[in-house]
Amino acid sequence: MVIKTREKGDVVILDIEGEIRRSDMSETTVHELVKDRLESGTRNILFNFEKVEFIDSFGVGEILASYISTQNLGGKLKLARISKKLYLVFQVTMLTKVLEIFDSEDSALQSFLRL
Amino acid sequence: MTEDRLSRTLSRIADVRPGESRIALLLFLYFFLITFPAYIVKPVKVSLFFVSFSDRFLPLPYLLTALLIGFVVGLNVKLLRTLPRRRFISLSIAFFIAGFVLFWLLWVVLKVDWNGLSLVYWFWSDVFIATSVTQFWIAVNDVLHPHQAKRLVGFFVSGGLLGGFGGALLAWNLARAIGTENLLLFCPAVLVLTLIVVNLVYADRSREDDRGAAVDSGGRLAGSFEGFHIVRKNRYLLLMAGLLGTGAVVGNLIELQFNTILRWRFPNPDPRTAFLGSFFAALLLVSYLVQLFGTGRILRRFGLRTGLLVAPVLLLAGSASVFLFPTASLIVWAVLVKGADKGLENSLSQSARELLYLPVPADIKYKAKMFLDMFLNKFSTALGALLFFLFYTVFHVGLASISFITVFFLVLWLLLVRVVSGEYVGVVKKDLERKWEDGEKVVAERMDVDSARLVFDTIQSRERSSVLYAMNLFDLVRKDKLTPELKEVLAGKDGELRAKSLDSLLDVGGGSFFAGMEDVLADEEFGTQIKEVFELEAYRKVMGEHLEKAAGEGQESEVERMEAAKVLGMMTPEPRVIRQLDRLLRDPSPDVLNYALDSAARLKRKELLPLIVQQLGNPLTRQVARDALAAYGGRILGALVRYLEDHKQNISVRRAIPEVLARMGTQRAADALAAELVNGHDETEPEIIEALYRIRSETPGIVFREKRIIPAILVQIRMGFKALLESRPGEAPGSRLAFRIKRIFDLLSLIYPSEDIVKAYQNICQGTRKSIDYSLELLDNVVRKDIKEFLFPLIEDLPPEEKIRRCRHLFRALEKKGRSPDLKGGPAFR
Repeated sequence: MVIKTREKGDVVILDIEGEIRRSDMSETTVHELVKDRLESGTRNILFNFEKVEFIDSFGVGEILASYISTQNLGGKLKLARISKKLYLVFQVTMLTKVLEIFDSEDSALQSFLRL
Repeated sequence: MTEDRLSRTLSRIADVRPGESRIALLLFLYFFLITFPAYIVKPVKVSLFFVSFSDRFLPLPYLLTALLIGFVVGLNVKLLRTLPRRRFISLSIAFFIAGFVLFWLLWVVLKVDWNGLSLVYWFWSDVFIATSVTQFWIAVNDVLHPHQAKRLVGFFVSGGLLGGFGGALLAWNLARAIGTENLLLFCPAVLVLTLIVVNLVYADRSREDDRGAAVDSGGRLAGSFEGFHIVRKNRYLLLMAGLLGTGAVVGNLIELQFNTILRWRFPNPDPRTAFLGSFFAALLLVSYLVQLFGTGRILRRFGLRTGLLVAPVLLLAGSASVFLFPTASLIVWAVLVKGADKGLENSLSQSARELLYLPVPADIKYKAKMFLDMFLNKFSTALGALLFFLFYTVFHVGLASISFITVFFLVLWLLLVRVVSGEYVGVVKKDLERKWEDGEKVVAERMDVDSARLVFDTIQSRERSSVLYAMNLFDLVRKDKLTPELKEVLAGKDGELRAKSLDSLLDVGGGSFFAGMEDVLADEEFGTQIKEVFELEAYRKVMGEHLEKAAGEGQESEVERMEAAKVLGMMTPEPRVIRQLDRLLRDPSPDVLNYALDSAARLKRKELLPLIVQQLGNPLTRQVARDALAAYGGRILGALVRYLEDHKQNISVRRAIPEVLARMGTQRAADALAAELVNGHDETEPEIIEALYRIRSETPGIVFREKRIIPAILVQIRMGFKALLESRPGEAPGSRLAFRIKRIFDLLSLIYPSEDIVKAYQNICQGTRKSIDYSLELLDNVVRKDIKEFLFPLIEDLPPEEKIRRCRHLFRALEKKGRSPDLKGGPAFR
């Protein structure tokens, strides 16, 4: 798994490529990356799932932990461009009740501007 | 003078912030210009009354005012409702200008010889004074926020005191020279200036619209009845009415005693006016000094309740002491007691009472204020007059003995202060809303995280092993989570998913998938059969031997180890099973560890604890390890605390333990964490604080001892000062400070009502100007002094240099405090 970071306005976008699974995890986990950004003052984080092929339970845990850390500081963490297959699984496991998920990056970025 | 220079000048004498200097100065002038004529009017009305009437008739004007004031209040409320505020106040001022001129003409030019004129003038004066002061406070409510008002009230009220001083001084010096009646001419001149200042105040106003306070869409009748109904239905306002009314009765009884003694001592009007002028001048000078140097400080340092208590306590002592003075010296007693009453009335008491109005919703505030300030005040004054009339005029009770009645009402006053100040906090709280929910709560309320993880594991296991897949499905069935939607997803309407599973079937070389497998597993009878198989003696023997053999040969693939780890959790926890699980808990594969930890959580054996704890140090297995430990429950609390205290342990392990304790959520777990906080282990401090906060928010019944938490709060404040002082000049201290402030509030929520603290924190971070103010006001009333004095400079919106200056000073004070024996051994004071 590879994670690239970019910024648009006050939103930090994490472009995740590959599979989010425990056996493929790099030295820094997704949650640790998010915590680092929160510590440097970021409060708006967007995960771009366009190139995510697979996610296991560890990956789900990382996303939820990232969500909790962001939420507790009054920030927002959202997801964009998730595949239909993965979205279906997210729906069945009710992850969609917790996480805001958008079709496109633009609509996700727009949502950060809304109160 | 530029805004900056003005601000710097004013900040030397009051807590005026940049951007506030113009409005503060205008309000100062406004109050000055209405109290100047008020303190000409006051001695004149009393003096001229005694020209026409004796002291036995003194209660009469008070009763007359009470009778008629309702109509005036009604008219004011009507005008307030329909006219823009600026216009309403301007018209009132113009009316009073005309009135002053008219009375002067009647007395001096037309020389009207009618006793009733002094009564009419008394009533008109009362209306002028009450209306002007009420309108001033309405303007303050319009242009300032509560915490802003609290800071500035001392400053602009001092303008009022200076104005009154000026008017009284004028009366004192000129009454004998030009005559009492001619003093009236100064009033319209001053009021013309007031008109100009009022319009400048409202020109500056940037807040909500300038309309009358309440546009009544229901079309109900305005007037004192409306204000009365509003007060009647609102508990807080009702209590305020009791407080204000009691104070007014006491004030009037003291005033009647004073004026009677004055009549005895000064039978002629001009010397009487001059004496009153000098009395008021001296009174106001003392009030000014108290207001300038005392009111703001007392209110900030000791709070609103103390501000409200000072007057009744002093007057109680004063009134009771009347019997110590001989009749010839009663004027001394009268001057002292009335001086105390009015001195505090003009400064501390007035400011404290006005602050009580601030959190009342705007749509009812002005009507209620109108009713309370004008009608209730006069009614209570009339009650005092009636009591005086009955006891002094009718029953001929001695003047000194009237103090018994005063003492009765003072005791009532003290009781009401206690109740009202408690209610005040409740009203402030109502205006604060949560900005966001805690993340853990959101997740816990909206989804089942454990089941979600199991679903993902199940989907993943389809790729790897039919055995694993079947076992995961079985688990889903047992948890009643194999929903029709999930079955559809798993049954593979998506061709891609099915193709993948067939591939894995070929790879593994065993097991089988078949259509409808999910339905079979979901069958209850089938589930019971499987459970029975696991419990068979024969199964346990065979499976145990198989697993041991496979492990001994060392040829197991990763998938086989995953399957073994999974099945062990379903078996009876015999020694053989535990041995196997022990082995798998040391496996290098995170996927195997995932299943092994899950199984360990099911079996809950103490001998597996050390291995599970070690997995807390592995970011890939930390979550599952935490879940496994949480599943053990409270019986491993002691063991976990020992790991937390053990500095030789991997720091990642120690940092993960507080969250496990938080999930236990028991009083014991909370006590263990709080004890760790006191021990001051910096490396685990953030996690401990977060865990404590989580326990508190999820289990409100948990109790934390202040003795343990307060030193930790002070440590965090000290670190906050450090973060601020270490930031480069011109650079915002940023997120380091933000994290410290979060921790401070997390700790505050342990010893104060959690929801109030959370709301205050969230509104300070992300609220409007108004809600930030309310948050600070709430904290000011709730948090103890020894925390507040250090906390506020960190969270208030101060100019950067001022903030740094105060924080530097307080940082040194905290360092000194840290060396005191009380805090030795506490966190960061080692």
